[in-house]
Amino acid sequence: MKFLSTFWMGVKYLWRDPVMVIVSVAFPIVIILVLGTALDSMFDPEFGANFDPPRVAVVADVDNYLSEFLEDDNVRQFLDATFTDRVHAEEMVARGYVNIAIVEQGFGQPIKILLPAQQDDLAAVALAIVDSFQQIGAAATIAAMQGRDFTHLLGVDIEITSQPLGTRIPRAVDYYAITMLVMILLYTGLNGMELFHKGIFSDTGTRMRLCPISKPVLVGGLLGASTFTSFVQGMITFTFTAVVYGVYWGERIPLVILTIFGMVLFSQALCVLLIVIFEKRNVVGGIVQVLFFVTTFVSSGFIPVNFGELNRVFRFAPNALAQTAIFGAVYGGDNASIITSLIVLLGMGGVFAALSFIVGRRRVA
Amino acid sequence: MIASMTNIVKRYGSNTALDHMNMTIVKGEVLGLLGPNGAGKSTAIRVLTGLTGTDAGEAQLFGKKVKGHALDLKKRIGVVPQDLALYETLPAQDNLAYFGKLYGVTGVALKERVGEVLEILGLAEVAKKAPKKFSGGMKRRLNIGCAVMHKPELLILDEPTVGIDPQSRNHILDFIEEMARQGTTVLYTSHYMEEVARLCSRILIMDGGRVIAEGSVEEITRSVLFEETLALEVKDPSAVLLENIKHIQGVVSCEAAGQKITVVSTAGAANMHRILEVAMPNIILGVTAQRPTLEDAFLALTGKTLRDGGDA
Repeated sequence: MKFLSTFWMGVKYLWRDPVMVIVSVAFPIVIILVLGTALDSMFDPEFGANFDPPRVAVVADVDNYLSEFLEDDNVRQFLDATFTDRVHAEEMVARGYVNIAIVEQGFGQPIKILLPAQQDDLAAVALAIVDSFQQIGAAATIAAMQGRDFTHLLGVDIEITSQPLGTRIPRAVDYYAITMLVMILLYTGLNGMELFHKGIFSDTGTRMRLCPISKPVLVGGLLGASTFTSFVQGMITFTFTAVVYGVYWGERIPLVILTIFGMVLFSQALCVLLIVIFEKRNVVGGIVQVLFFVTTFVSSGFIPVNFGELNRVFRFAPNALAQTAIFGAVYGGDNASIITSLIVLLGMGGVFAALSFIVGRRRVA
Repeated sequence: MIASMTNIVKRYGSNTALDHMNMTIVKGEVLGLLGPNGAGKSTAIRVLTGLTGTDAGEAQLFGKKVKGHALDLKKRIGVVPQDLALYETLPAQDNLAYFGKLYGVTGVALKERVGEVLEILGLAEVAKKAPKKFSGGMKRRLNIGCAVMHKPELLILDEPTVGIDPQSRNHILDFIEEMARQGTTVLYTSHYMEEVARLCSRILIMDGGRVIAEGSVEEITRSVLFEETLALEVKDPSAVLLENIKHIQGVVSCEAAGQKITVVSTAGAANMHRILEVAMPNIILGVTAQRPTLEDAFLALTGKTLRDGGDA
């Protein structure tokens, strides 16, 4: 009863705060439209197809040897290559960062070429590139004499998948619907921050502690209210963009919704931890403004950016994890990478929640 | 006895907020807790309500130790904090209903009690409005309302009338008097001496974390020996008259300002008749014997004025 009372009080309190509603609901709907319209040309498939030289993501165990070849000035005139892992390579193709992904799948397995949808004409380019890899492999037999063995690259089959990652390339509005939704889901952590500040650390919080309500019930009610409200706010953006803007959310809607929920849990845990540590709303607000802007930027939330080697680090930014999961769900990524991203996201959220519990017990003792 | 604090010591670092404080609250009384800023009043309330622990001593409510039984005991008390503690974007009736539910009031009883409290506190017309749009006085009234939704046996008010208009103050004082009439025991702290004098059947004066005086207003003022002051209004007072009064036994000072002569004598001098005899040849327009007030007693006991907490 007290849990439900606290839950509904929290929900009503958040919905009656005009600033929160504007930030969480109105802002993303407007910003998706603005960015989706203003930057539409960047996402034009024709624009993507005319990259010169072609951008290629390479997944291979032979990066030391291949890198010498791919980074040679003569080669770079024809090929802009990035070494990465398979998950990221798929994501780069899906988002249109690269034209081609070449994936070495292991000894005796065919080399896989991933092409963006609707760009089958790139297959010839891809074949030429793989062919040159194989020639490198032949040259590498010389290297084998030095103890390194690249012969497995010789004569293996080549498997070209022309539409491996779904049925379409995201338009700008599709792209920003995902990245801005993810960013706003992070900001909904402020709902949790606000409720916990009000209900525990403010004068009202002192009164709450004078009331006959146990701490677990109070915390549970507040957390439930902020999570529910944030999830609803995310779903409003999701639904609105689908219905009004015609944003493509793919066929695997439950996975998208699960990711939205995961992101909400993560952001609540993070912001609650921050308010438990700092206790002051304006301090947490300042930290969050900077932190979430940076994580959105490094996750290519504002504009697609390739950070090269740093992508390996930045892909663990919360935005990047959620974006990987949603882009994968929408554009045909494999379930493993989606679930992995979600697990990492929720794992980090769990760590934050545990820290909040430990620190919070001392603060409100 | 509803509550007791025995030899309570509470320290914050090197600062001793409560220094072997003792206090009892008897069922049905309105107990006033007076003290300058930093005297330890709020800390005493925090200890009594289980908000903070102690370094020594024991606090009890309704015969049970506060420590270990705080959750059960909280159901029987209502606390009005010094600062406004409301959900300011929620309507007044929602604030009352929420805190009522936390105290276990539900269903029809809750609905009736919300209406009743709104009516008593003069907030019925703004029941559906959010407190952020209220005046300071209205917020204070709602702040009290949230603490009495469950009709507590003990109501603790920590300076509930700070910074509000006289109308709201009267409303609040009337409400507390009514609660007391209905049998609620009240612990009331305030900077306003006249409020304490009006409401409280017994007063504790605190300073430096200790109780330094206890009793009714009369008992406390009697317990402190004061100089006695007599104000005379005399037509054309002469220098000779002033000189003659100064020579009366027990007179400490005699000063004139226009027609008004203020004569201060030592406590218990009993020389009023002699002063009047000396003044009689002149035309006496008025005589006023000034009695010591609770404020005077407080000043004498603590060396501080009550409202600013500073040295007198």
